[in-house]
Amino acid sequence: MKIIIAGSGEVGYYLAQLLEPKYRDIVMIDAEKEKLRLVEKELGIATVTGDSTSYTTLMDAGITKADLLISVTSNEAANLTTCIIGKKLGAKFTIARISNMEYLKSRSILDLKDLGIDDLISPESLAAREIKKVLKTPVITETMDISGGALSLFGVNLDEDAGIINKAISETSSMIPDNSFMVVAVHRKSETIIPNGKTVLQRGDQLYFVSTPDKKEKVLEYAGKKSIQIKNVMIIGGSRTGKYTAMKLSELYNVKLIEKDPDRCNYLAKLIPKVQIVNGDGTDIHLLNEEHLAQYDAIISVTGNSETNIFTSMISKEAGVKKTIAMVDNLGLVDYLHKIGIDTFLNKKIAAANFIFQTIHKGSELSHLYGINAEIHEFFVNEKSRLIHKSIKELSIPENAIFIGVVRNNKGFITLGNFKLEAGDSALVLTLPENIHKISSIFK
Amino acid sequence: MNADLYRKTTHIKLIFKQIGGLLIVLGYAMIVPMLVALIYTEVYSALGFLLSGMISLGLGYTSYKGIRSIEDISGHHALVIAALGWFAVVVMGAVPYTLIAFITPEEAAMRFIPDGADFGSSLWYFKNPLHAIFDSMSGFTTTGLSMAIHEPTIGKGLLFYRHYTQLLGGAGFVVLTLALLKQSSGKIAYLLYGSESTGERLQSTILETARSIWKVYIGLTVFSFVFLVVGTLIILPDYSFTENIFDSINHAMAGQSTGGFSTLDDSIAGYQSVWMEALYLVPMILGALSLTFYFRVIQERKFSYFWKDIQTRSILILTIAGSIVLSMMLMATGYISEPFRVGTFQFVSALTTTGWQTTDVHQWDSGSILFISLIGMVIGGAYGSTVGGIKMIRVLLIFKGLFWQINNIFSSDRSVKVVKFNGKRLLPEEMNKDIALVATFVFFYLVLLMTGTLISYYTMGEGFELKHALFESASAQGTVGLSCGISHPGMSPGLEITYILQMWAGRLEIIPVLVLFRSVFAGTKPKIV
Repeated sequence: MKIIIAGSGEVGYYLAQLLEPKYRDIVMIDAEKEKLRLVEKELGIATVTGDSTSYTTLMDAGITKADLLISVTSNEAANLTTCIIGKKLGAKFTIARISNMEYLKSRSILDLKDLGIDDLISPESLAAREIKKVLKTPVITETMDISGGALSLFGVNLDEDAGIINKAISETSSMIPDNSFMVVAVHRKSETIIPNGKTVLQRGDQLYFVSTPDKKEKVLEYAGKKSIQIKNVMIIGGSRTGKYTAMKLSELYNVKLIEKDPDRCNYLAKLIPKVQIVNGDGTDIHLLNEEHLAQYDAIISVTGNSETNIFTSMISKEAGVKKTIAMVDNLGLVDYLHKIGIDTFLNKKIAAANFIFQTIHKGSELSHLYGINAEIHEFFVNEKSRLIHKSIKELSIPENAIFIGVVRNNKGFITLGNFKLEAGDSALVLTLPENIHKISSIFK
Repeated sequence: MNADLYRKTTHIKLIFKQIGGLLIVLGYAMIVPMLVALIYTEVYSALGFLLSGMISLGLGYTSYKGIRSIEDISGHHALVIAALGWFAVVVMGAVPYTLIAFITPEEAAMRFIPDGADFGSSLWYFKNPLHAIFDSMSGFTTTGLSMAIHEPTIGKGLLFYRHYTQLLGGAGFVVLTLALLKQSSGKIAYLLYGSESTGERLQSTILETARSIWKVYIGLTVFSFVFLVVGTLIILPDYSFTENIFDSINHAMAGQSTGGFSTLDDSIAGYQSVWMEALYLVPMILGALSLTFYFRVIQERKFSYFWKDIQTRSILILTIAGSIVLSMMLMATGYISEPFRVGTFQFVSALTTTGWQTTDVHQWDSGSILFISLIGMVIGGAYGSTVGGIKMIRVLLIFKGLFWQINNIFSSDRSVKVVKFNGKRLLPEEMNKDIALVATFVFFYLVLLMTGTLISYYTMGEGFELKHALFESASAQGTVGLSCGISHPGMSPGLEITYILQMWAGRLEIIPVLVLFRSVFAGTKPKIV
């Protein structure tokens, strides 16, 4: 599979980094030679310098044989043009990054597919969608739908008062009704552990659960979490992410948005209904107090600067805000940030990458999680498979991997050892990256 | 040395050329009443229209074709053209009244008077050119005040002409001219269009916009006509069919333009039917809604706009609420018979600035007169329609501004105090700018109204009180046309001129008139005031 990525910005770079180990044949296009030199050095992939809307540049990148063209520059018009031209020149599938939501929402007026753009992606809007989900159940730190929502995966931080602390998972099974959920990963002291029955849970563990969508509440009970009701939300930073977040949240909560640039404030004030826009610096403690920071249930820091976001989250925690969400670019910080109390992180690169992964290979690799070193893979059991009628314990799943469930007729099941596979099932496995080849061979 | 003089003369030439265009349109427009006069075999009236039309065309072509086109036009020119052009049209439009009054022999005029009547033809009043200008102004500005005491006695031709001028003036004479004559430049068209306060731009070119507005306007008039013919047939089956047609054509024109002239001696009360009065509420309310609003409804086929559009909704609500309040006030006097019938019809007539009258307002109490004057006639209908008055959208904006100011006190200093108005969110500076414009206009409007009221108070003669002065002045300036009896052929010429000026300024929303005065008395150079 040959992949061309136009734009070596944050999203482009991260995508290349994720795709490179699996596909190798990746070409990156960017107008800036310096950036590409770095890409070549760090990722070892081929690069073409030039404007991605130019025929020559695309030809040089090998567009005629490309299976996938992803245009993720920061310029929407350029992305659309690149995909339209790229498709005509031979790319089999094209994905464009957009910022104007009309293209997604108003397909009845003009579907960009007709022009040759097969899929659209807006990292900022995906990030906003994630925020909305997290705020619905604020005690969880991260959430993700699997197989279009048949199962959900989410993270919870174990506080000291949780009843399951210092117990092995097998001891807590009485608290899990009808096999409706399971612990699939434990993140402890910068290390990701795939648990088994003997794993003992400790204070400060970050637990990852998979459950059927209707049993989320039971999981929270299990983890000793009291639910928090969110009413007032403050967003710091009126960047694209801030804008989409405010738009999505304004229907559900009282939202106040703080933005430094007065012109941007005016733009947002005209655009977004029901949201109170305040012109000011989100790191100015005096201003935050003046805007009654302590009265807010959730603070979402999404300025373009990670340090600012971390800083305002810390101030908010200090002031007693129950939920803080910060947009952080550097994922290396995640462990440290958990310790200082920032509970949820946001990273539009990951949001975008997950989305693209799901788009380009429906049926094998699925998702990456924030901060932890594990992947979820989906395998399809076809009619000729030798796995039909086998139970899960017969599959000999290796250590550091866990069989988390099955999607059958669009319905998700949490599976135990004696669950038998059938033709048409989608099997879901969570694994540390080193096991992926072993797992793949089981399902071959 | 002569650069200044040269500049001045080019400006004057430019203005006269455009006014010439208006007169050409007026000249051709005279053909229609001429044909109507011929249908009713009123030869002298037909001759009057023919001559008037030729004079208008002669003057129009001389200045329109005689002056070569000048591209250099600016905002104040357009406003001067609107103010002066309207005056020219009104004066030329008065010619048929006076001309016909002079050339019609006594015997011919006898035909106009109903058998056994104890009064003569009202046509003779128009031998006085001031009266003719008064009625012409009242017609073109869609007011409806009249010097003809018994309207039907001026002959069918002239009767039709009066209603016809309301139709022509209603959607804007300048806009009509823009729709018919091709302008040499888009800029001239654009500035002229903006000068007459007709509404927003609908199409990409001004020519198309002007045509769209007139199409919608004529369409609505035709609808009103059919509605009235059928309604009259059902309610008064014995009413003469030819009279029904004549009445309905004229009343449809006077209703859609919210003009308020009538073919009957006692206006709509002449039908002596409560159902006919109810029937006539419809054309009045239709006329009070914005033409650009209709255009949007028709184009997008969304009738929900009748409720979603804040201005339309407010007018519909105020129509009902105001009618109820006025009726209660009239009932409270204890001596007004049928207060709900009178109250509803008169309030709708006032708010829509139509001016059809079914009662003697003179005997009303001060409270009712104050209410109908200030809430009905001063507010008026929708911006973008043919009504007069301050217009609903401005009243709403001022109220919104009030709430906004109060609310702002409660929000923090740094927050962006955006305000939502009519589906749009406005930033503080935009809102302040809008409020300043509207407040200035409203203030001017009220100052002019007060001046008119005071002049009325001192010159209106015996038997009237201050409340009547306010009522009549508000009626003239709001281009309503309800009268408590002050407007009368015997009134003082000074007051007559005052009302003519009030109608003129009220129709053009004052600013063009002030710009004209400024240009005449203080020149066109920018000044710091």
